[in-house]
Amino acid sequence: MAIKKISFIVDKLPYKGESSRLALTHCIASQTVEIHLEDDENVEPVLAFVGDGVLNCLKNQDAAAYGVSTLESHIKNALLTDIKVLICEEDVKRLGLSEDALIMDAEDLGADMTSQIVPFSEIMAEMESSVHLMYF
Amino acid sequence: MGDLRADEPTEVLDVLGRVCPYPLVLTKKKLEKMEKDTLLKVLCDAPASAEDSIPKYAEKQGFGFDSVKVEDKGHWELYIKKTK
Repeated sequence: MAIKKISFIVDKLPYKGESSRLALTHCIASQTVEIHLEDDENVEPVLAFVGDGVLNCLKNQDAAAYGVSTLESHIKNALLTDIKVLICEEDVKRLGLSEDALIMDAEDLGADMTSQIVPFSEIMAEMESSVHLMYF
Repeated sequence: MGDLRADEPTEVLDVLGRVCPYPLVLTKKKLEKMEKDTLLKVLCDAPASAEDSIPKYAEKQGFGFDSVKVEDKGHWELYIKKTK
């Protein structure tokens, strides 16, 4: 099976624009394009939060003031759909965040996957092994 | 293949209220984790997913597929037999 890995890199703040939401929507939706590909072709999406983008992963988001669904729910849905979610360790430290403050699982939705806090070098390795890179 | 609706589903996936792309993605993920020769029943109220993308996916995979629209409830029951 020909697997095409696509890395979705999010480095923008949540709610400031639509970038993060678009990244999540495209990442999740990329798993459906198989129906339009040749037999035995498939897509493997990877979602990575770097720079200020790691702030998308904060728990207990309240987006009611904006009248939109939270990025938290979208990240949990990404985990529910078995997407590899990577959070840059260096940026987590830089912003003074702890693992407890971040969305590490979606057990409440029944997801098996968990987020991973990894060094940027690991995210870089995923990017280098990807056929396509998409920045949001 | 026979009438899939007459068989007892192995699992039921409820994606009611979910919009595209979730019904297809969740159906696909569920099927990936199911054994061969099992039957998945999907409850779906997203027209594009129920009438287009999920049937297309089942056909492409070579799975058995059947569906019925439950008019009074406003949703579809999709039956997918994982044949391989």
